[in-house]
Amino acid sequence: MDVSPEIWIEKYRPKNLAEVVGQQDVVERLRSYVATKALPHLLFTGSAGVGKTTCAVALAREMFGDTWNMNFRELNASDERGIDVVRNQIKQFARTAPLGDATFKILFLDEADALTQDAQAALRRTMENYAETCRFILSCNYSSKIIDPIQSRCAIYRFRPLTDEAISEEIGRIAKKEGITVDEGAYVAITYVSLGDMRKAINALQGAAIVSDHVTAENIYAITSNAKPQEITDLLSRCLEGDFETAERMLHGLMYDKGIAPNELLNQLYREISRSETLDRRLKVDLIDHLGEADFRMSEGADTDIQMDALLARIVRAGMN
Amino acid sequence: MDWAEKYRPMHLADILGNGSAVRQIVDWAKTWTPDSRPLLFTGKPGIGKTSAALALARDMGWEVLELNASDARTKAIIERVAGNSSTTTSLFGAGRKLIIIDEVDNLEGNADRGGARAIADILKEAKQPIVLIANDAYGVSDSIRRLCDPVPFRAIGVSTLQKRMKEICRLEDIACGEDALSAIAESSAGDMRTAVNMLFGSSTGKTSISAGDINTAQKDERATIFDLVGGVFAGAPDRELQKLSFECDEKPDSVMQWIEESIPLMHDPKRRIRAYGRISRADVYLGRTMRRQYFTLWRYATSMMTLGVASENAGAGFRTRIMPPSRWKRMSTAKKQKTVRRTLAASLAEGYSIPESQIQSQYLDLLSRFAEKDPAAFCERHNLDVDQMTIILHDKAAAAAAVKTVQQAAKERDMKVKKMAASKKAEMRKLEEQLEALRMQEPPVPETPPAAEELPLEEPPDEKKLAPKQATLDFF
Repeated sequence: MDVSPEIWIEKYRPKNLAEVVGQQDVVERLRSYVATKALPHLLFTGSAGVGKTTCAVALAREMFGDTWNMNFRELNASDERGIDVVRNQIKQFARTAPLGDATFKILFLDEADALTQDAQAALRRTMENYAETCRFILSCNYSSKIIDPIQSRCAIYRFRPLTDEAISEEIGRIAKKEGITVDEGAYVAITYVSLGDMRKAINALQGAAIVSDHVTAENIYAITSNAKPQEITDLLSRCLEGDFETAERMLHGLMYDKGIAPNELLNQLYREISRSETLDRRLKVDLIDHLGEADFRMSEGADTDIQMDALLARIVRAGMN
Repeated sequence: MDWAEKYRPMHLADILGNGSAVRQIVDWAKTWTPDSRPLLFTGKPGIGKTSAALALARDMGWEVLELNASDARTKAIIERVAGNSSTTTSLFGAGRKLIIIDEVDNLEGNADRGGARAIADILKEAKQPIVLIANDAYGVSDSIRRLCDPVPFRAIGVSTLQKRMKEICRLEDIACGEDALSAIAESSAGDMRTAVNMLFGSSTGKTSISAGDINTAQKDERATIFDLVGGVFAGAPDRELQKLSFECDEKPDSVMQWIEESIPLMHDPKRRIRAYGRISRADVYLGRTMRRQYFTLWRYATSMMTLGVASENAGAGFRTRIMPPSRWKRMSTAKKQKTVRRTLAASLAEGYSIPESQIQSQYLDLLSRFAEKDPAAFCERHNLDVDQMTIILHDKAAAAAAVKTVQQAAKERDMKVKKMAASKKAEMRKLEEQLEALRMQEPPVPETPPAAEELPLEEPPDEKKLAPKQATLDFF
């Protein structure tokens, strides 16, 4: 028996590039760097939980073997975002010689888009001056937040959100190793709540597995405080049919009986509406505008009950036109 | 070693695609005297600015002193590092030192407090060649810019890039098809470093590459702003639009400006006003996102500007000509005007001891009258340039004439001073010769009191002999 339960994200983080799922293009290129022991500066872009950090660590492990820990350093730029971190910490690491038989070190700078413009400007020459001893891997959510001179110095890798298949595959593998059973419906639920984010998916799985060895869709939605997609679809169609009373009752059921937060409901409604293929386009845009207004008002501190009810009323009216 | 460093051009002759800039640099270096103005290299990243500066030093046999944003650049540090070496020469030999100050457009940050002024001071006093480098000429503080001669670098042409890629492939023993080369050259947008990196990235571990390898390695698979705006106005399906706006790497506010650019071209006034309604909602959401730092609202902005505008345009059969936002051009002009105005106010404020804000709000008209009376004198008194004089005089030609007059006068004065110095020197030499002749004629007779008219002959040469000597010391 484990003394303290380990977090699965870390437990099952791929140790080498071959284990990384769902980013074939990227992984293939990275492996060729390992094969030739040559590496330019890299810029990884992509949303959360798609494998940026995993790939960087796996690359370093394969590149350096046993000494990877000494020649690889991870810095999170969002902790310290000023120019001083570049001038002190980063330069300090970059200018010392690599250890063992490695010919260079790797500095992984997570959330590099959180660095201020000043700091990024300082970084660009550091990257060039110490290119002999240190390669940089920058990771960010939006490459547009990285200044052009840095983009120009890096090979850019765009990580895509993981496909549902890739997530299911990984979930299946973990479930097998942990000896838990996962319903067919639960796979669908996990891919629905995770939106291509592996971290979310594995967390949902682990959360549900704590409740029961048998993971069901019901569990997944409950543990992640999501409404079932069908419930959202029903809520929306009640409104558009003009049945405000039933819709309101359903809404209260979701908010109070199931404890789903209003902004989570908005997220799900937004997803349902914007992906719908049956709604008239103008109606769709009107609905999105209503959602946005409600979202904004609640974020400003307006009463969630009133705003959510008012939102339903607006949707009802929009459906009547 | 990464290729961008490995294939950095070593000599000025190797710098590609910027012939006129290179010629200007070479001329400057060959005729350099301590009175020469520093150069300011400007241009996009990756087109050879830093390389040109380093190559220049190598070609001329100059030492290099580099100062870039990764070093702290507060006033004290700049003065300590560059200040010293800019006013003194190397101990050994007559070798010069090229001071390269990189990223001068990134000086305004807090951490570099006082840096801009320190650089300006150094530029004024320097006795060594100096090159400044910046991406954006307008990002450089005005006090620095006006002390330098600009050297604009331009993006490198596709065929030049392609030729260079071919050469690198030959050196690295990689077989590379024309299609792959042109794919690299085109998607790197004139940026040599990106192109070299792209080639490096696609060829690692391979002996031959084709166009297919390039696409998976680099960023061109993503949608461009043209795809997105085109999609919005051509009525692409929702799913397609969402995908395009996800893939397109522009910031939401600039996407909005691109879309906005085409709305006025819609024919049907009813559709047009509804499209404006949608995009102004998008604008409201963006404003709220930024003001509140509540990024969830972004998605509504994106939906309103793409789906919203598309829905109002559906079925109108309207195809737009996609154009970059015209406001960008207007904004950059306005930005320049603002800078000129500000610096003008600053000069006048100093001259009249009136606060800048009051000069701008109340005195500009009055001072215009002053200036109209005697533009050249006004220009000289406040040390103004053509742009600033244009604002005062509301007349570009008159402003240029005034500045020219001032420059002419300054030149003449300069000539006069030089002439005077020369004639004084000649006079002095004559006096010395006379003195020497006198000494030769009459061997020293200590007892004889000096003749009365001999005194003024002897005094001035002594005094003057010292002065030029000091000047020479300063000089070297």
